[in-house]
This record gives sequence, C-alpha cells and structure tokens, in this order.
Amino acid sequence: MEILDRYLEAVKKHLPWQRQDDIVAELRANLESQLEEKESELGRPLTAQEAEEWLKQLGAPMQMAAPYQPQQYLIGPAVFPIYRTVLKIAFTWAIIIYSIVTAILLLTGTPSAAALAEAVLRIPAVLFTTAAWVTLVFAILEFAVTHNCIKLPAMVAPSASWSPSGLPPLGQEAISGKKPHAFASAVAEVIFGFIFLVWLLLVPHHPYLLLGPGALYIAASPFQLAPVWVPVYWCIVALNILQLGWNAENLWRGRWQKPQPVKRAVLGALGLVPLVIFLTAPGHAAVLLKHPLVDQAHYGAALQAINRSINWSFALICAIVAVQLLWGVGQLILNVYRNRAAAMQ
Amino acid sequence: MTLAENLFENLRLELRRGCLTLAVLAQLRQERYGYTLRKALADQGLVIDESTLYPLLRRLEAQGLLASEWREEEKRNKRFYRLNADGEQMFAKLLGEWQAINASVTATIGTTTTNSTL
Repeated sequence: MEILDRYLEAVKKHLPWQRQDDIVAELRANLESQLEEKESELGRPLTAQEAEEWLKQLGAPMQMAAPYQPQQYLIGPAVFPIYRTVLKIAFTWAIIIYSIVTAILLLTGTPSAAALAEAVLRIPAVLFTTAAWVTLVFAILEFAVTHNCIKLPAMVAPSASWSPSGLPPLGQEAISGKKPHAFASAVAEVIFGFIFLVWLLLVPHHPYLLLGPGALYIAASPFQLAPVWVPVYWCIVALNILQLGWNAENLWRGRWQKPQPVKRAVLGALGLVPLVIFLTAPGHAAVLLKHPLVDQAHYGAALQAINRSINWSFALICAIVAVQLLWGVGQLILNVYRNRAAAMQ
Repeated sequence: MTLAENLFENLRLELRRGCLTLAVLAQLRQERYGYTLRKALADQGLVIDESTLYPLLRRLEAQGLLASEWREEEKRNKRFYRLNADGEQMFAKLLGEWQAINASVTATIGTTTTNSTL
C-alpha cells in the first residue's frame, strides 16, 4: 500500500539513525498484520479514505517516532539541583564583580548620571551571559554523565553520612510562621544597595542628583554647608559599604533567609555615629554663610533659624534611632534568654 | 480539552504507565510479536497505542528483560519477543510489588469509602 510506505518513510526520518531500518521493518510487519486483519474483516481492501483514517488514528509520523528516541535532557534531574545552586552563586558573584569594576570605572573616569544609567542597564546582559556560560558547562556535564564519561560527585548522590540532626535550626521567622526572606529580595538588596552607593558617591560632584533643580538655588544662595558634613557623609558611605558587603556575603554564604538581629543591632549602633558627629559639631553649625562679613547682618537670623531646625531634626532622628536600637537589643537579649530557657527544658 | 480533563488525562496516563509494563511482561511469558501482543492486551481490556507499545518493547529489550528474534511467519518477517531469564525474575518481583500495592490501595479505598458513608 503506497500510503503506508509513505507513512513509514515519514516516520523513519524522525527515528534514531542507528536503528531506523530495524524499527521501520518491525513497524511495517505490525502495521501490515493489522491492515490484513482489517481487510479480512471487511472482505475487501481498504479504500483510500479508510486507509487515511486508519493512519490518522496511528498518529502523525513524528508522534509515532518520538517514543523511540532516548529521553534527552539538556540538564537532567540528577544534575539540576547543583546547576541551580551554582547558577545562584554565579549570579551573586557576577553582580558583585560587576559592581566593583563598574564603581572603579565610574570613580576613576568621569562619573555621570548617563554612565550610571548605562551601567545599570547592562546588568541584565551580564546576568544573561553568566547564565549562558553556566548552562553550557552543565549541559556538557550532563552529556558526560549520561555517556558514562564521568560519575556524579558524591554531593548529589544519596550519602550514608547524612544525618537529620545536622540540619540547620529553624529561623525565628519559620517558628513564628513568617515568610522567610526570599532569594530574589536578597539579590535585589545587593543590586539596589550598589546602585544607591554609586548614587551616593556621585552626589557631592553632582548635587542635582539629590536636589534636582534646587541645586541651582543652593549654588546661588548665600549659604554653604558646614565642614561637619564631610565626616558625616563619609560615615554614611562607610555604613552603606558595610551593609552592601554584609548583604553580599550573606547571599554568597546562602544565609539570606536567616534572621540577623546582631547585624541589625550593629548597623543600628553604627548608624548613630554620623548623627552624633553632627550633633557635636562646633557651634552646632550645619550651614554657614559664604560671605559672613557681608551677609551676617542680612542673613544672620535666618542662618540661626536654619541651624536650629536642622539640629532639632537631627536630634529627633537620633532619638528615634536610639530607641529602635534599644528595642532591637532588648529583643535580641530576650530571644537569647528564651532560647537558653528552651534548651534547658 | 478543559483543564480538569487535561489533568485527568495526565493522571490516568501516569497511573497506567507502570501497569502497562507489568501487563506486557505478563503477556510475554509467551512469545509474541508486536501486533499479536497488542491484540492480546486489548482482548484483556488494555488498549495500548502502537506508538506506546512498540517503543516500550524496544526499551524493555534494551533493559535486558526481553529476548527478541526476527523470524518469518505467514510470508512476513516479524520480530518476536519473549521474557528472558532476567525478565522472568523481574516480572515475579514486580508482580509481588503490584499485588502488595493493589491490596493496600484496595484496603485504603475500602476504609475511606466506609468512613465517608458513616
């Protein structure tokens, strides 16, 4: 039957090449037997339309051939867990390295908002390239494993030395039923922490990044910032670097889900440093006159009012931060006490 | 096909997959070629698509459970399959497993039905 020959020829194209002829010969024998039986039941050969209906029931050639193909994975279930872990680590390091290199390039070159925006927009490409390389390496690994060129490392094989008692303890969030800190949020913290840091470093050279058009007004005004802002500014920069490094390290070590009350307390305590520096500035001066001899008579009262307001604001912020810190430390001590009590029971 | 129908079809296929292998092994205690095997299974109420059964025979043979040979019958070359010694052993083990699962599931379904009627 010509249509059956055409069908088998079409199936053959989708079969593994080493066994094409053998499989087609077997299929032919089976299908011809089936055809023969159909025809003997009818007492006549199948019409063209009936033959077509019959072949349609068997399924499209590709559908018939597909189950003969060995199951193939780009990255199979045995390798996939390591792939996912490595991909996360690779993403973290790619972002960290990219952030450091970009920060150096921005600081040593001519920092500008356009260069910063360009650096940020390049992040997806960096992540995509990283993912492509990791995937390629793991596809090769999968191929090697499935072709018995190498054996999977013990880290993914069931290990006899594994013990449930070695599992990490539940975090406070898990105990209280709160949702743990997601990986995406942890990565976002690192990325946005870096962007914020770059922005912070650019602000002294480009005040419009902070004040917008108001920067022009400040430049034209008779006032200028007092020298106390310099150590305050660098304290804030140092704090942000510390927090960024801390977040990146947590991500790298896979600890982003763990609650970190000590870290929060330390950052809270360090956050008081720039506020204290500011509040202990000589004369409590946050703003000075550019030309005191000329402008003192005219702007002296305004200057005093501005400095008083800024000092009051900072004192209030300092009080809030101190209360928060005390609350955090209190909670920390309480948790330690509770954990000890629970351990003793 | 609606979502529910699609889900049912997936679950049904999953449920059938292991059972089909056992049924095929059971039928191949006696030598058969593809088409007669398919007919024998259909006669027992297990209708299997050609695109499922014939590749399954190849896989079972590659796994060392079946022996096959090309032979002429009714003026046509056919590939005949039969359980080999390893296949016999594997069939016995799987049959024991199947009977245990069947008994447990039947008991579970019986308990659940009794509980829900109470």
